Amino acid sequence: MTGIMDSVEMPKLPENQKTFAGIPEAVFLEEIDTFMSQPENENCEKVLQRLDEQHGKYRFMACNLEARRRKLKSQIPDLERSLEMVNVLRKEDEERETQFLLSDQVFIKTLVPPTKTVYLWLGASVMLEYPLDEAEALLNQNITSAVGNLKSVEHDQDFLRDQITTTEVNMARVYNWGVKKRQAATKTTATTPA
Amino acid sequence: MAAKVASGTNKVFQNHDDVHISFEDQQRINRFAKHNARMDDFKAELETKRSELKSLEEALEEIELFDEDEDIPFLDMLKETKEQVLKEIAGVEAKTKVIKAEMDELKAHLYQRFGSNISLEAED
Repeated sequence: MTGIMDSVEMPKLPENQKTFAGIPEAVFLEEIDTFMSQPENENCEKVLQRLDEQHGKYRFMACNLEARRRKLKSQIPDLERSLEMVNVLRKEDEERETQFLLSDQVFIKTLVPPTKTVYLWLGASVMLEYPLDEAEALLNQNITSAVGNLKSVEHDQDFLRDQITTTEVNMARVYNWGVKKRQAATKTTATTPA
Repeated sequence: MAAKVASGTNKVFQNHDDVHISFEDQQRINRFAKHNARMDDFKAELETKRSELKSLEEALEEIELFDEDEDIPFLDMLKETKEQVLKEIAGVEAKTKVIKAEMDELKAHLYQRFGSNISLEAED
């Protein structure tokens, strides 16, 4: 049951790509002065605006990834439970008396005969009967692909978070650079008139 | 979303001190932010697992009160599940510890490097 999270590897990244979703990389500013002296960065406000826009885009991607991750995270335990159930059914070799939930608060006694088949929900209100072995194989396959997907989503999330943090630091640096520039400017105007 | 670590203009570098940020620094900040987010995930995971454990324990306690000869189907499975959940909790706790240790290390380093110009505390 556990161990599946460790045994399934993350799928291979597309060639020359750092992420599955092709997230653009945020550029780290090695030298703020050099960066700001580039012709397109002459206006501090504009640079900030551009970074802010980029930041917004990253956040949007982060939301999407988070939604995907949450969905997968809830799918996996469901699949695991189904798989567990298949294994329980396989071990049953005589009729078992049990109760099942008929509707809210109402349980009903029933006899469950041993079975060789099980019904799986396939989604979209479709349920299909499978022999136990096939059900197990199908569930295993679904779990493996869900875990693989989860791992790639988490990989992308990590990468994206790096880009967001880098962009935030860039914004702070550009902003401070602007403040310093203005301070220096007022200082010169204050001292020159004499 | 997770707590912000270096949230834009109001946080990281507030004053005039000219601190140069190297690529390594940036990577450390990124690492810290990532760990911080992961920490939040783990906390949430622990919470759900702990409540699951609580339900299981309550169920088992309830069963204790029954007559000896009452036949409870799948009682063994219930016990097994409890053990399983206990193990999972221990697993997550161990992972949290590792991350916490690295975060402390990064924090110490970054504070030493940037002093009060950086704020790495979780906002809760």
